[in-house]
Amino acid sequence: MKERKIKIKTENLEVYYGEKQALFDVNLEIHEKEVTALIGPSGCGKSTFIRCINRMNDVIDICKIKGSIEIDGKNINHKSIDVVRLREKVGMVFQKPNPFPKSIYDNIAYGPKIHGITKNKGELDNLIENSLRKAALWNEVKDRLHEPGTSLSGGQQQRLCIARAISVNPEIILMDEPCSALDPIATAKIEELIDELRETYTIIIVTHSMAQAVRVSQKTGFFHLGKLIEFGTTEKMFKNPSNNMTQDYITGRFG
Amino acid sequence: MTKDQRIKKRHRAEARFKLYGLVSIILALTFVGFLVFTIFSKGSDAFSKTTIKVNVSFNAEILSLPSNPSLEDIQDADYYDLALESINKLLLTSNPDDEKLLKKLFSPDFDLEIKNYLVKNPDLINQTQDINLTSSDDIDQLFKGNFPRDIPEDRRQVNDRQLEIFDELVAQDKIQKKFNNYFFTNGDSRDPELAGIGASLLGSFFSVVICLILSFPIAILASIYLEEFAPKNKITDFIEININNLAAVPSIVYGLLGLGILLGFMNFPRSTPLVAGITLALMTLPRIIIPCRASLKAVPPSIREGALAVGASKFQSVFHHVVPLSLPGTLSGTIIGLAQALGETAPLILIGMVAFVVDIPGSPIDPASSLPAQVYLWSESAERGFVEKTSATIMILLTFLIVMNFIAVYLRQKFEKKWN
Repeated sequence: MKERKIKIKTENLEVYYGEKQALFDVNLEIHEKEVTALIGPSGCGKSTFIRCINRMNDVIDICKIKGSIEIDGKNINHKSIDVVRLREKVGMVFQKPNPFPKSIYDNIAYGPKIHGITKNKGELDNLIENSLRKAALWNEVKDRLHEPGTSLSGGQQQRLCIARAISVNPEIILMDEPCSALDPIATAKIEELIDELRETYTIIIVTHSMAQAVRVSQKTGFFHLGKLIEFGTTEKMFKNPSNNMTQDYITGRFG
Repeated sequence: MTKDQRIKKRHRAEARFKLYGLVSIILALTFVGFLVFTIFSKGSDAFSKTTIKVNVSFNAEILSLPSNPSLEDIQDADYYDLALESINKLLLTSNPDDEKLLKKLFSPDFDLEIKNYLVKNPDLINQTQDINLTSSDDIDQLFKGNFPRDIPEDRRQVNDRQLEIFDELVAQDKIQKKFNNYFFTNGDSRDPELAGIGASLLGSFFSVVICLILSFPIAILASIYLEEFAPKNKITDFIEININNLAAVPSIVYGLLGLGILLGFMNFPRSTPLVAGITLALMTLPRIIIPCRASLKAVPPSIREGALAVGASKFQSVFHHVVPLSLPGTLSGTIIGLAQALGETAPLILIGMVAFVVDIPGSPIDPASSLPAQVYLWSESAERGFVEKTSATIMILLTFLIVMNFIAVYLRQKFEKKWN
């Protein structure tokens, strides 16, 4: 497989929550239009790491970040970067589906509206249809776009959230354990979807399921106690890990 | 102890707890029922008044009106002689002592009632008309059956001759019960039959409106800022503690504040709804901020994150998502805060809202009373008529409070959206 362009690069990334250090010296390169899976036991810093990429940690007062995160060669923590523009470019899907308590239509229309992406209702309708199609939800909801988004099933809600993330035309999509609240069938659909989305977006997915990492990702990173232990192609990582800890984790001997 | 015994014991404990709960609910309902019953049984009479039908002939000569009187002439004329003449016709025989006694059966403003009738119907000059004139409080109570007739004459307000006249009038069907419009339109009065809650109702209305205008926006903005934007540090902790403290400060202290600052220092007009509204707003602020912050806090963080993740700014995530979702709690908290302000008496006493106000206030800077203060004022009066008026005022006040609470519940249910 040929090496793609580097999309995200972190150097000496360290994150502190008050006194407690959550990430230690993370150096990572994530390539464009690939799915990168982050695995590791609970509390190892995977979620902290991806929340740094769209600066979601800004919300937490006591959170401090050291080191650099670059997207397309630009440091996202630099003063000149507007966090709103950054989050437009870096979408996020959360562990628990969190549609707004509004209609399906309004859920997706919200992002394009605040960014002024569409000029008129026709364009907006098209964009909504496209987003829903890309999220493989269109056929299920096309006749009830004005029903509340919260009336959908868990898996549909999560795909709605993916459609919402897609609607503002991001380049990167972060997924924080997107399937942990879903049943196996819904999970399969999301995984299938991730595979399709890979053609357009750079995806980072945090997961607790090793099988999922194998199924959807090209690269995998293993975190333990805030440190990036190993990073490499998924194939190598699961067949022939170079670190003993990774070996132990993926074979279920600890974690 | 065997397993069976233990299970039996657990069941007994549960049954006992249910019984305690049931007993306390029945007890509470009994008290409420008793309260409502006494207030209604005492207060319902205040909504009717006793009238005596009098045949009035609007003789232009007695009124010394010109031949083609203008409305002003009619208003300026003296109706006292005409009124006396009209009521004396009720007696079969002319007798000065009886006439004196008869006059006391009527409310002291009976000549004004005749005048007002003519002002409304100026065509009636030199014609005769039956008018129902308001009776005095004693006759009112007598007719309503609240007056003990069997006590000795020297301890009664109504003597035997007056009773005779009264019975005669009842026999002629001249004494009737009518809806007591005075109770709603008049201000306070020394005569129970003329006293009404008009001044206090409007006073309360103005006060609560001013309180709403001042406290609602400030409380909403303060709670949104504190909950969503302010950094969490020692200063905001300090502010939070003090808001909670302020909500617990006895309301009379706010009255002192109003008295000292608004009346004493800023020289605002005394006993006006303006001052009452500002004072009540100060008192209500923390009581609204607390439920507002609670309802903002109750909006799940995932909604905020969802908005931020599609690139909404902090401001957009708060005002597009969090505030609308917190609206039911915010609105019902505000209404309940206002309902408390409406029922508040202590601070109003200090800023002079317990005044004896006869004139209906036309604006928030006219002297006025308020409903709870009116209850307090009338409850001290000895006349029977004021006893029923006190209860009736409580009924009105309670009606407002219950309606406001229902609105609060309704708003909460209507706007409440379920997430997840």
